[in-house]
Amino acid sequence: MARTALEALGVSKSFGPRAALRDVDLVARRGEVHGLLGPNGAGKTTLMRAVLGLVRPDGGRIHLLGRPFDPVADAVPDGVAGMVDTPAFYPYLTGRANLMLLARLDAADADASATRARVDAAIEESGLVADAGARVAGYSTGMRQRLGLAAALLRSPELLLLDEATSSLDPAAAREVRDLARRLAADGAAVVWSSHDMAEVEELCAAVTIVDCGRVIFSGGVDELRERAPSLPHALRTSDDRAARALASRCIGVRATPAVGGGLDVSADAAALDAFVIALGRYGIAVRALERRTRSLESLFLELTAPVDLDVACAIGAEPADDEPDWGLAS
Amino acid sequence: MTLRGVGTVAAVECSKLAAQFKPRAALAACAAGSFAFAAALRLQTTVPEDTLFGRSAKESGFALSLVVLGFAALWVVPALTSIVAGDLFAAEDRYGTWTMMLARSRARSEVFAGKALVAFGYSALAIAVLAASSIAAGLLIIGPAPLVNLSGVALTPSQALARTAFAWVATLPAALALTAIALLLSIVTRSSAAGIGVPVVGALTMQLCALVDGPQALRTALITTAFDGWHGLLAEPRYYGPLVRGVLASVAYLVVSVGIGYRTLQRRDIAG
Repeated sequence: MARTALEALGVSKSFGPRAALRDVDLVARRGEVHGLLGPNGAGKTTLMRAVLGLVRPDGGRIHLLGRPFDPVADAVPDGVAGMVDTPAFYPYLTGRANLMLLARLDAADADASATRARVDAAIEESGLVADAGARVAGYSTGMRQRLGLAAALLRSPELLLLDEATSSLDPAAAREVRDLARRLAADGAAVVWSSHDMAEVEELCAAVTIVDCGRVIFSGGVDELRERAPSLPHALRTSDDRAARALASRCIGVRATPAVGGGLDVSADAAALDAFVIALGRYGIAVRALERRTRSLESLFLELTAPVDLDVACAIGAEPADDEPDWGLAS
Repeated sequence: MTLRGVGTVAAVECSKLAAQFKPRAALAACAAGSFAFAAALRLQTTVPEDTLFGRSAKESGFALSLVVLGFAALWVVPALTSIVAGDLFAAEDRYGTWTMMLARSRARSEVFAGKALVAFGYSALAIAVLAASSIAAGLLIIGPAPLVNLSGVALTPSQALARTAFAWVATLPAALALTAIALLLSIVTRSSAAGIGVPVVGALTMQLCALVDGPQALRTALITTAFDGWHGLLAEPRYYGPLVRGVLASVAYLVVSVGIGYRTLQRRDIAG
């Protein structure tokens, strides 16, 4: 059994003149929930659709569960399931009847009682027992989302792609879905979790791929993402925060902003921070506390996808004034 | 693509059709319409003289079935053949269910073939029901008297039954060609209104074109001309030329429409 459940390499897709995906790689391993992040229009959903055979990539290759997958010619392999966008069903049928049809599409050989048992299990797992007998026309968006989840579970997923799976669910239901994703991963499945909720991704995912404008701008572990962040935030308390802030504005690669509750939030890489602390001492400003903050995934995400380059901003602010001493940091 | 896969898709489509009102209502109308027509004809004093076999519609039940056939070819068959075919693919767009349907264990080719099979099957079934009900209504309400054919020769009831049944069968190629056009429109336009409406309007337009002078080749190429191919079966001696040309024209429409429809679906991006 392949350790890698999903391997999409160099996937490109254009819709007319607009490039939705450019050489995108996405690798998801069994036993992990892999976050797929990006601003609206970044290409996350297009990538998921390509993996599910709904969109034909212009280039690249996709392997699902260790086997090559041709989105044009092949059916989605057994064990691969997905829920992209708000799932839609036949409104004139009940939720259960919709699932029966999908189960029949999946397993042509299964007898009726086995199909019914699979459907019942999926309904129970997705928390739809009370509403499964009602026509889908009367379902709320949240109920459709649960039904979509049940439809995905019918395929006993080894690779499950979920796009905004909790966006229409109440907090309790959203937690159930997150628990389900965790459980599936613990059982050896790979789950690709696309979401705008950074706290959710942070809670669930050990690895993330961030796409922006159709390109992958980061792929790796969440810890690695934190390490790779261009600047690490620190909480700083000094004997003279105002002077310290003025000093920071003259140091390349250092940005200091007033922190809520006093002190400063300082963003800098390790070398710049060291130089800044030494400069504080030279300038007679005592350092009373300096501690590294744990950055939220959201702040990292915003930093990675923001159009403004923080280093450039710092470099501009570091031009020494004529009447100020040069601290030897701007070389 | 496997036969089992195509069969699975077809079975699923049949379940969906069975759950919908429109296809069931159309079949019920096919079954009941001929009886209502026969009953009304029996009650009235006049006959539809300007229709083929209309003069003898109150004398022979087989003639009544052929009157129904003439009328159905003009109006009913185009509607019957597109009511399912014109909606089958477009409905997935209307409900937004392509994503659910195609992200399963069936290849697009199987989905296309299964749906097309159901569309053709429904058209054939509707015509079979209409044929059976019109013959049954004729025999039960008018009676099984011998049928005087287009050459004035009286056919025995068994001969008349065989020729009438054959005449209905002869309309199938044209009906299936219209079904294929409805399928194509359903795929290309993603609109049920276009899928159902355009074949009906198109068939009526073709009937109008057949009434005006024009090159014979053009008239032969019209699907609706194929609906008249059965006339040769009820003449003495029988002639098959129009029927064969109609079948060939119908096959051409069918192959081209199915081919373009298949290619369009295969190349389509389901991009939300």
